[in-house]
Amino acid sequence: MSNWSLRAGSVLVTLSILLLWQLVTTTGLVQPIFLPSPSSTFANLLRGLTRGDLLALTISTMERMIHGWTLASLGGILLGALIGLSQRARYWLTPTLELLRPLPASTLLPVGIALFGLHPNMLLGIIAFGAIWPVLLPTIHGFSAIDPRLREVAKNLGIGPLAFALKFGLPNALPDVTAGMRLSLTACLIITVVGEMITAQQGLGSTIIMAARSFRSTDLYGGIVLLGAVGAANNALLGLVERALTPWRRARA
Amino acid sequence: MNKTSSRLAPAAEACAQPAIAFDGVRLDFGGKCVVDGLSFTVAPGEFACVVGPSGCGKTTLLRLVTGLLSPTRGEVRRLGVTVDGPSRDVAIVFQDYGRALLPWRTAAGNIALALEAMGVPRLARAERVAALLDKVGLAGHGDKYPAQLSGGMQQRVQIARCLAQGPRVLLMDEPFGALDALTRQALQDEIARLVRDSGATVLFVTHDLDEAIYLGDRVFALQANPGRLAEVIDVGLPRPRDQLRTREHPEFLRLRHVLFDHVQKTH
Ligand SMILES: Nc1ncnc2c1ncn2[C@@H]1O[C@H](COP(=O)(O)OP(=O)(O)OP(=O)(O)O)[C@@H](O)[C@H]1O
Ligand SMILES: [Mg+2]
Repeated sequence: MSNWSLRAGSVLVTLSILLLWQLVTTTGLVQPIFLPSPSSTFANLLRGLTRGDLLALTISTMERMIHGWTLASLGGILLGALIGLSQRARYWLTPTLELLRPLPASTLLPVGIALFGLHPNMLLGIIAFGAIWPVLLPTIHGFSAIDPRLREVAKNLGIGPLAFALKFGLPNALPDVTAGMRLSLTACLIITVVGEMITAQQGLGSTIIMAARSFRSTDLYGGIVLLGAVGAANNALLGLVERALTPWRRARA
Repeated sequence: MNKTSSRLAPAAEACAQPAIAFDGVRLDFGGKCVVDGLSFTVAPGEFACVVGPSGCGKTTLLRLVTGLLSPTRGEVRRLGVTVDGPSRDVAIVFQDYGRALLPWRTAAGNIALALEAMGVPRLARAERVAALLDKVGLAGHGDKYPAQLSGGMQQRVQIARCLAQGPRVLLMDEPFGALDALTRQALQDEIARLVRDSGATVLFVTHDLDEAIYLGDRVFALQANPGRLAEVIDVGLPRPRDQLRTREHPEFLRLRHVLFDHVQKTH
């Protein structure tokens, strides 16, 4: 019941914001060239998706984002497992990682462009680099912070390093890793869009910035709404995956 | 003794060997002597209990048997072979069952871990796990996660996982310390029965002198600073033991006095 009322409340808030947006634009409080009404934004969005090339652009952005995310996730989990399982690797690499981590991915874009040119794989590499951290760090922690008692259990049973990584390390890291992968996907979306804006590669990012430059405000806001929808859908989908992967976290007496 | 045994065939010699032998064992932790001059043997199939004040080295003693720790001086042997690391022949039930189970595996999955480690094929595992769950009285709870089980049930899972190893030596570190009296008595009888069926040698650490006499064939009383053997008591009580009759047995009461007096003196 309370769950139901919470959900109803969230719908109400969303609708009120849309209503406010509509009011602000129809009363002429804000010029449509800066902020078009939601109805015209959505109508334009629908037109773009069905008749224009907006759908293709969205797909190319999502592809880039998902490729980058896959790279970041796989790289983060593999690298994190190796570093997390070896104390020596942790000692050797931690200072470097601490130095690289705070670098905003957008600052690396000019470096990437200078070194590799405007190649699509360059952008992919930058996306993966920028989005690897939310996966890498919890993976390192999850693989290294295994209860010493469980380590003894593994030792007593003569469990080898690979089986230990898969049966102890991975599940121990999994809750944090899946949470990290959610953050990573958001980071991927941001870096993808910024990357597209800077490198002018085909996608929603470049479309939005072109629309902004030519004062096509309905296209601009359409693109933003689309990005928001992509982000929200990603998050919801990953939430489901996370729950499916870690059933023991819901198990309470 | 050694001369006669060395003339026996190798198999017979292994039988004649004590299951566990400590030979002048000393262990230092960062320059501090934790146990010293430990020498004793435990016969195959014997149920030996270890009592002593907190910090006297009971857990350390078990770790020396598993090979998780190596002695600074002296030698620990299992079945005549010097211990140089963990072996699946030796199972240990940890005191903190909450930390010794994999939270991401169900009760059945935790038991299966031991079978996986021993290379039991997947198909044979399910049946073995079901039999073990049944043995420790957890039939029907196999698909629950540790967080869904009571303390007593979690400890049963840990015991089942150790039994799955088919160990020749079973080490138990205050396994029932955190359980209520009734659960504790039930598990005492279960463990006595399971051990008798398996023929394993047991080293059982406890804080509870009554428990030590109730379960043991012998009781080793340790003394602290440094940890050393103070007294060994033979328990001649008939088996199978019974929670009421054994505890009222005159011999039980006599041993209880001996042990209590001893602990009072050395404390
Ligand atoms: N890893 C360690 N490093 C240093 N000292 C240790 C370590 N483990 C145990 N000790 C010391 O060794 C001594 C014996 O410890 P142990 O855990 O064997 O005692 P115990 O008899 O099992 O005590 P309790 O009944 O409280 O469990 C203690 O004084 C303890 O401080
Ligand atoms: Mg202890």
